[in-house]
Amino acid sequence: MSRSARCAWGFASLALLVFALLVLNLVVGSSSVPPAEALRIVASGPDATGSIASQVIWGIRLPRLCAAALLGGMLSVAGFMLQTFFANPIAGPYVLGISSGAKLVVALTLVWSLSNGVALGSIALIAAAFVGAMASMGFVLAVASRVRNPSALIVCGVMIGYVCSAATDLVVAFADDANIVNLHSWSQGSFSGMDWHGVATAAVVATAAMVAAILLCKPMGAYQLGETYAASVGVNVRRFRILLVLLSSLLAACVTALAGPISFVGIAVPQLVKGLFGTAKPLVIVPGAFLGGAAFCLLCDLIARMAFSPTELGISTVTAIFGAPVVLWMLIARQRRRAVPRG
Amino acid sequence: MDRSQSALHTVSLDVGYASTVVTGIDIAVEPGRICTLIGPNGAGKSTILKTVARRLVPKGGTVYVGKDELSSLKASDLARTMALLTTERADPELMTCADVVALGRYPHTGRLGLLTDADWRAMDEAMALVGVADLAERQFSQLSDGQRQRVLFARAICQEPHVLVLDEPTSYLDIHHKLEFVRTLRRLARERSVAVLMSLHELELVRYASDLVVCVARGRIDRVAPPNEVFCDGYVRTLYGVDDDLFDELYPGLDRPYDQRPSQSPSQPPACDGHDERYVRSGQQRLRRGMTTGTCAALATAGATRLLLTGRAPQTMELVTPKGVTVTADLEFATLGDNVATCGIRKDAGDDPDVTNGIVVVANVSRAEQGITIEGGDGVGRVTKPGLDQPVGAAAINRVPRQMIEEQARAVATELGYAGGLTVTIEVPGGKELANRTFNPQLGVVGGISILGTTGIEEPMSEQALVDTIEVELRQQRALGATRVVLLPGNYAEEFVRTALPELANIPQVKFSNYLGDALDTCVEQGFTEVLVVGHIGKLVKLAGGIMNTHSKVADCRMELMCAHAAICGASQDLCSSLLQCATTDAALDLLRDAGLTDEVMRCLIAAMQRHLDLRTQGSLRVGAVVFSNQHGLLGETPTARTMLQGLA
Repeated sequence: MSRSARCAWGFASLALLVFALLVLNLVVGSSSVPPAEALRIVASGPDATGSIASQVIWGIRLPRLCAAALLGGMLSVAGFMLQTFFANPIAGPYVLGISSGAKLVVALTLVWSLSNGVALGSIALIAAAFVGAMASMGFVLAVASRVRNPSALIVCGVMIGYVCSAATDLVVAFADDANIVNLHSWSQGSFSGMDWHGVATAAVVATAAMVAAILLCKPMGAYQLGETYAASVGVNVRRFRILLVLLSSLLAACVTALAGPISFVGIAVPQLVKGLFGTAKPLVIVPGAFLGGAAFCLLCDLIARMAFSPTELGISTVTAIFGAPVVLWMLIARQRRRAVPRG
Repeated sequence: MDRSQSALHTVSLDVGYASTVVTGIDIAVEPGRICTLIGPNGAGKSTILKTVARRLVPKGGTVYVGKDELSSLKASDLARTMALLTTERADPELMTCADVVALGRYPHTGRLGLLTDADWRAMDEAMALVGVADLAERQFSQLSDGQRQRVLFARAICQEPHVLVLDEPTSYLDIHHKLEFVRTLRRLARERSVAVLMSLHELELVRYASDLVVCVARGRIDRVAPPNEVFCDGYVRTLYGVDDDLFDELYPGLDRPYDQRPSQSPSQPPACDGHDERYVRSGQQRLRRGMTTGTCAALATAGATRLLLTGRAPQTMELVTPKGVTVTADLEFATLGDNVATCGIRKDAGDDPDVTNGIVVVANVSRAEQGITIEGGDGVGRVTKPGLDQPVGAAAINRVPRQMIEEQARAVATELGYAGGLTVTIEVPGGKELANRTFNPQLGVVGGISILGTTGIEEPMSEQALVDTIEVELRQQRALGATRVVLLPGNYAEEFVRTALPELANIPQVKFSNYLGDALDTCVEQGFTEVLVVGHIGKLVKLAGGIMNTHSKVADCRMELMCAHAAICGASQDLCSSLLQCATTDAALDLLRDAGLTDEVMRCLIAAMQRHLDLRTQGSLRVGAVVFSNQHGLLGETPTARTMLQGLA
């Protein structure tokens, strides 16, 4: 199969998968709305009369599935960028502690705002998350510039993650507000309680970030061959690295602010998408990872909602179950490929 | 030092990391030239290259790329000017070799890096040039280090730089690819006027490839000189601090310039020396091969076409002759006018100088509607009598040179994406006067010399050397167990045997040039039992008169013999006098055919040939002859030859 044909098939099947999962997420739920009815409600727009079914569809499921798709896509694109940046296939916003850093600052901000009675919009939360993400990223970069060892980098990220999570738990434990339950479920990562305002914010950030990501595809491709060669073909490496860090942190921060830290999507999805397309070309993988991340999070959210209904699982619980084996499999496959004798 | 022409130069450059490693570096590399850094490990060669490629900031001084300061260039502008190949390992996952090579197009593609047809062409060409075309779809990470190195080199080539910086580019390559690499590099430098700055550890390659050698040692530049002034007087030993017998044993002659290298031991079989393609071995002598006028014309055409289409003239031209030998020559001059580019190549006939040695063959190339037209200008002869390679009225540029000229023009046009036509006019200044000292007037070529050469290279033909070579070849064949041999005068006969007499494919062939008698004597002496002589009528007709050296300066008599035998067969007096007027045997054969006498006269001639062959060999072996002509094909064979051929069929 030619490469372009494989690309076309890959995108077609990913798009189909996302569509199927969108529909499935729409019609499946604890409050039973018949599928035909659900689709009719979507087609007819928000119901001013406010029937229960319409409220469930337009008030809960639609924003939730839109958010799952958008945030999943953003997370996996962020993962792909970080893997390119660190030339390390198991780099990702969660593993490197970026999500946890964002989480800590968001938790602090939330607790502060709740105790002072200040209502914060999603933009302010994203800004807080971005600050946290950049702080973690800064720390990781400082380590990376001193230690060339890729596994040390990951260990460092995981450590940051633990410290931040512990600090967050502490903050949550001492917070004395009734909203503590929400805060708790958020800090575990969840798409529940998503509203249209959050979706709109996510859509704006996602659109802007994706345009920027597509424009960064060309230097990312060159960077895959190493910094020296990238510089020699005309990549302004310094500027490129800053842009890549800012962009991936922004994506991870946005996701964390809106849905809390979500594990493994950033690592597993780009890897699966690369396997699907048989290439690591950024121009293919960036949009591919977005679709793949959307599909992955839609599926995981469906399972999180339905597996033990009416009890909801944290989204990270599900993503870990599906994502961790992918990462393990990938490590083993890489090892085997390396073992191929060279002529 | 004049730096106005240089593509890359440094002024009092100091390089290093935390502390300075090398100071006071002044190097200038001109377009089309290769400059090589040598010196012991840790001397700072890579540090210099990294600084020049802007991977390190200079400790002091300045690097200039063309007229610009290196530090002032934008990353994208620098990438369009300079490509880099280092020993740094690249291990990208899921990238095919084509993906890696495509990165060379980075400075030339748009915002998204999408590849156009022109980009693909440049990539395909670069991959073909370094012999990795068949690896294009393979995963880069699964290749051997040597293959990776070549793929990365292809990437650097299709970046189309003016300056190429290479850090130990041959380090992972096997010997075959090392040689290929330096060959490709030289071609690249000469044909595209690329300035090359590299570091290399293989000193033999350094000497072959470099125009300038920069010796780095003890924190400074110790010497900057052409290879011959570096590889002499034991300098290399001092540079590397080796004082060892093993050095002499492993690298004999590295401390002496080329021509003073120790000669091969005389006991070595001379015919086996095929490794240096600029030479042929003949007896104990080593003769330098030269180029034919055809090769000169083709080289000049390639240069002029490139100049016409790019506005830049290459320094040196290189082509592979029909015989597979690489010939290199510097352009004598190059001028670009209004839609016409003119280049000249001086003919170096090698160790067998004839009257055309030292002449300049000039090609004028201009744009045309379509197709490639080849014309002869001043000093190139014109055909006035029939029976020659070209028809009457055409310029005396033979078939093979025409092909070579056309191929060169087309190759350059294709490479540069030019789809229109070209008109090539070949001139030889002073050719008219020179022609009087050749056989051209007798052959019916007037107004200049002929552009000749079936193989593209002039094999040295010093007489004794040639006889020796024939003897050696026959002796070798005999030693290998052959009892039968086919004797041929040259390339025409070889071609004829290949196409018309496939049954002879398994019998060894030896070329006798003009020395048929000597060849036959050797066959007898060596104990061959069957000998078949296959030749053009123009040569073998002399055999009918017992002329055993067919060189035209020894004897001609071709027309006399044809005429005498025709007369016996009943030709009229008119026909006989027409025959005597003929310039070539083919023309004579035309007359005989018109008179219906061809078969009879040929039978008569062939009988005479057989008689003389038997006379010379005194019945010691069976010998026969097959005669053909380029225009009339197979003309006949002697009775012995017929039985020999039947025995083979």
